[in-house]
Amino acid sequence: MSRVAEFLTRRRGGSGWDWTDIFTWVWLIAGIFVMFGPAVWLVLSSFKTPAALAEFPPTVLPMATEQVMVEGYDNPLELYSVSMPDGSEQVLAQVRRVGTIAQMVDPDAPDEIVKVNIAERTPQRRVAFATENYVVPLEQNDFLLYLRNSVFVTVMATIITLLTNSMAAFALSKYRFRGRDGVMLLIVATLMVPLSVILVPLYSVVNAVGLFDSLWGVILPTVATPTGVFLLRQYMLTIPDELLDAARMDHASEWQIYWRIILPLAAPALAVLAIFSIVWRWNDFLWPLVVLSRKELYTLQVGLNTYAGELNVQWHYILAMTVVTMIPVVLVFVFLQRYITAGIAGSGLK
Amino acid sequence: MGQITLSDIQRAYGNVKVLHDINLDIADGEFVVLVGPSGCGKSTLLRLLSGLDKPTAGRIEIDGKDVTQVSAADRGLAMVFQSYALYPHMSVRQNLAFGLENIQMPKAEIAERITEAARMLEITDYLDRRPGQLSGGQKQRVAIGRAVVRNPTAFLLDEPLSNLDAELRISTRAEISALHDRLKTTMIYVTHDQVEAMTLADRIVVMRAGRIEQVGRPLDLYNTPANLFVAGFIGAPRMNLLPVKIAEAGPQSVRVEGAGGLSIMVAADGSALQPGTDATLGIRPHDIRTGTGGDGSFTATVDLMEALGPETVAHATTDDGQKILAVLNGQDTTKAGDGISFAFDAGRTHLFDAEGQRLPPPRT
Amino acid sequence: MATRSISSRIGAVLAAPVIWLARLLNLPLKWWQGMTGTGGMAAFFLAPNMAIFGIFVLLPLVINFAYSMTSGQALFLSDRSYVGGEQYARLMDCGNYLDPTTCREDLFWIALRNTALFVVVQVSMMTVVAMITALILNREIRGRGFWRAVFFFPVLLSPVVVGLIWRWILQREGLLNFILYNVGLEPHVWLTDRFYSFVATVGVSVWAHMGFYTLILLAGLQAIPRDLYEAAEMDGTRAGRVFWRITLPLLMPNLLVVIVLALIRAVQIFDEAYVLTGGGPGTSTLYLTQYIYEVGFASLLRNPGLAAAASIIMGLILVVLTLIQLGLGRRNEKAGERK
Ligand SMILES: Nc1ncnc2c1ncn2[C@@H]1O[C@H](COP(=O)(O)OP(=O)(O)OP(=O)(O)O)[C@@H](O)[C@H]1O
Ligand SMILES: [Mg+2]
Repeated sequence: MSRVAEFLTRRRGGSGWDWTDIFTWVWLIAGIFVMFGPAVWLVLSSFKTPAALAEFPPTVLPMATEQVMVEGYDNPLELYSVSMPDGSEQVLAQVRRVGTIAQMVDPDAPDEIVKVNIAERTPQRRVAFATENYVVPLEQNDFLLYLRNSVFVTVMATIITLLTNSMAAFALSKYRFRGRDGVMLLIVATLMVPLSVILVPLYSVVNAVGLFDSLWGVILPTVATPTGVFLLRQYMLTIPDELLDAARMDHASEWQIYWRIILPLAAPALAVLAIFSIVWRWNDFLWPLVVLSRKELYTLQVGLNTYAGELNVQWHYILAMTVVTMIPVVLVFVFLQRYITAGIAGSGLK
Repeated sequence: MGQITLSDIQRAYGNVKVLHDINLDIADGEFVVLVGPSGCGKSTLLRLLSGLDKPTAGRIEIDGKDVTQVSAADRGLAMVFQSYALYPHMSVRQNLAFGLENIQMPKAEIAERITEAARMLEITDYLDRRPGQLSGGQKQRVAIGRAVVRNPTAFLLDEPLSNLDAELRISTRAEISALHDRLKTTMIYVTHDQVEAMTLADRIVVMRAGRIEQVGRPLDLYNTPANLFVAGFIGAPRMNLLPVKIAEAGPQSVRVEGAGGLSIMVAADGSALQPGTDATLGIRPHDIRTGTGGDGSFTATVDLMEALGPETVAHATTDDGQKILAVLNGQDTTKAGDGISFAFDAGRTHLFDAEGQRLPPPRT
Repeated sequence: MATRSISSRIGAVLAAPVIWLARLLNLPLKWWQGMTGTGGMAAFFLAPNMAIFGIFVLLPLVINFAYSMTSGQALFLSDRSYVGGEQYARLMDCGNYLDPTTCREDLFWIALRNTALFVVVQVSMMTVVAMITALILNREIRGRGFWRAVFFFPVLLSPVVVGLIWRWILQREGLLNFILYNVGLEPHVWLTDRFYSFVATVGVSVWAHMGFYTLILLAGLQAIPRDLYEAAEMDGTRAGRVFWRITLPLLMPNLLVVIVLALIRAVQIFDEAYVLTGGGPGTSTLYLTQYIYEVGFASLLRNPGLAAAASIIMGLILVVLTLIQLGLGRRNEKAGERK
């Protein structure tokens, strides 16, 4: 115990605690609850039955009232612990409830009905995960469709982004041609043009090229990211030109130089861009919302928002689907966090 | 075959001319070294030869064929780069094979060539390593190996030893020399180290500011430098260059006079010179001895004596402030601040006119 | 280690078709290179990206201006009637600029006012919170990587997920009310209250993005040489003074980046707020992007020309912010040179 305390309290300089140390730990601990708490709460809630979700105050863990089959009854009955008039505690099954009076039976003596005031009984509960919250939407076609659409958009957009951006970055970093600086300037200038500024005309352009209400209409406008070109170009500038000259002496065509030399050597930067592209495309909302109108083309984000906007919000399904939507991003976070934080710290990418 | 001709080669970057009218003939199997100070255009010239860059004007011929517009890959040359330029993501074997695969050479032949080259360069043990796992000297060998497996008509080497430490440089230099003896392929070698140039070259090309100053065999350059630049550039330590005045000038001999009582008659054709004009007298430090008993002599004040054992390096200053360096045989007891008298032979001097050109030999 | 092998295996699988395609392309491209030289290859490498970029970024950027000068519901520019600056005039038609209800497009002005308020509150909150967190993470604490991950975690979540999580927590029977109830405070119906729903959009967007800015600040803090602090410690400088006189000045470049990036992002607030409150109750959380979206696409009385005009005004605001950033960046560089 004292070792734990020592471990926790060890600090710079070794002298006593001052207010900054206390503040640090208060902030960090509060950070855990505030940052992780909501997501954890979401996951816990997603396993609750609709009845448990409607409860106030809510329980932390998903609970369900225990049930038993009682002889003479077709459906399982809920178990309650009841304080009997004689002061003893007894476990009874509830048959039905009329006003403030519950009719109950002892599961071991199913013939005798006991009338109990509902204030006298508390449900017998245990932790139970309502996995049907997940199973039902996954069995319905809609959600699976959305999932498939999202995966398709994310994978395709990422592949095309990596390919086109790396080709452009190669040209912009390793060739000298007229107008190169102009192209670079154009790309940098549009780094800051957000989607919302060109939303209306982009919509008409996408319509004009016949991509409205198609997944390609979601993918293509996002792939020529100036950020990606910029990031890759900065990286490729560090690859020595002599290497390309050596390859040219080795009979490599320019295309071979690109994919045999440049691409493998730019792998770290490509990996960073790939991670970001996956997160970006998976999370995209406004553009798919604008461009997709047929329900079977919705991506997860749009689909979720639609569910949540329905008059009769079915929270138990929505929470479960939100968790599913979160999974890939959480995986990326767990496995690749290092690359992402390095990428952000290095280039201010987001 | 590997006979190369450069005629009137020019190269400009924008308005800046970095090569002016380069003319050069390289015989098959010759080892030619390009030397010159940094930025004089050696690498540029080599890149033009390789085809990685194209000249602004002029003609390049290999074995009599005009290749000026032929791409780098199709000239049949191989290049060794200063930074080695090994592909970092490929193993040594893949590095060697890359160029051969690109011309669709059969796998068996590739393997055979790699084995052969690896044996020759003693890199067999690390064929499966990546360049990052090799030392500088090993990388250098792999870089040379990559050129060797191509079986090129000529090797182009751009300062291949400059990234190695002094000791390794000497041994690798010897290896390159041995490689040339064995392969008998034309080699064009760029360096700014004149010791490398002297030891390796069949012929040295001295360049300055985009021009060729002199082309010749190493000892010819050493013994009869064509101008002040070559005189100062070739030979270590540097030749002493004393400002002198022409006292008498004739078609057979020229007499010059300088500070410290210097007066000497040099055999040269001075018929174009006027007495009283400026000239420069060059004497290599190794050709100076103490005393007064030579064809010429002068006095100076010693600044520093460096006793190396078998010889002594004297740093001195003449009356008119000219720094002199002399390498004296044996040991010498003269101290800093003392006066000293230097003697030398007329046959070991080099006389340059006011433009810095060597005077022609005496008319016969 | 494990991550490495997994990602390299994934890489190998993804690479297989690419390699195959690359081989296939080699011959025709060699021919093209022979025909056009390396210059032609540069064009080839640039072409796909620039084509997509031109069609889906540049072209819309240009026709946005034309769009904003037309009226009607038609989609294609050729079918729309030219009205000159009428849409702008309509946006600007106000009795009193401080009172949105006197404006013809009152929603635009409400959205503008809400956005301005949001930007000011959110950016200052974001900066302070990110700064404190970065300072704390820069201390020599145990498990720094873990703590960094804690604060960074929400950054990757999709705005829709973020919005839904918080909608769930802030609802009447939600977690927040439960906690308040337990400590004896009064619960609220947060998202149907004009004031609290605004606070919620601010708070939630700070929650979602602070990790990103913390990282940038942390990178800046870690670039400050340790010996400066040690020297200050030798001089017996108080902690507060060290912060104001050493940390803050040296962190200034990163801090400016953070502020301007946060500003630019805050102006565009949409996704989280839209999912969280849908702009309501009433118009209390209606922000500019949502206004553009609704006028352009969602409402029955669609008016793309008006939406385009509004988006251009938003673009101008962003350009000004970007120029400020560039200007500040340059000033910083100069200051750096002088040092
Ligand atoms: N791409 C270029 N653009 C403009 N000028 C160039 C370029 N490449 C070389 N130069 C110029 O051409 C001149 C010759 O350069 P080069 O690289 O041939 O010198 P070098 O003799 O190889 O020098 P070093 O011994 O330092 O390698 C230099 O003045 C250099 O600045
Ligand atoms: Mg060079």
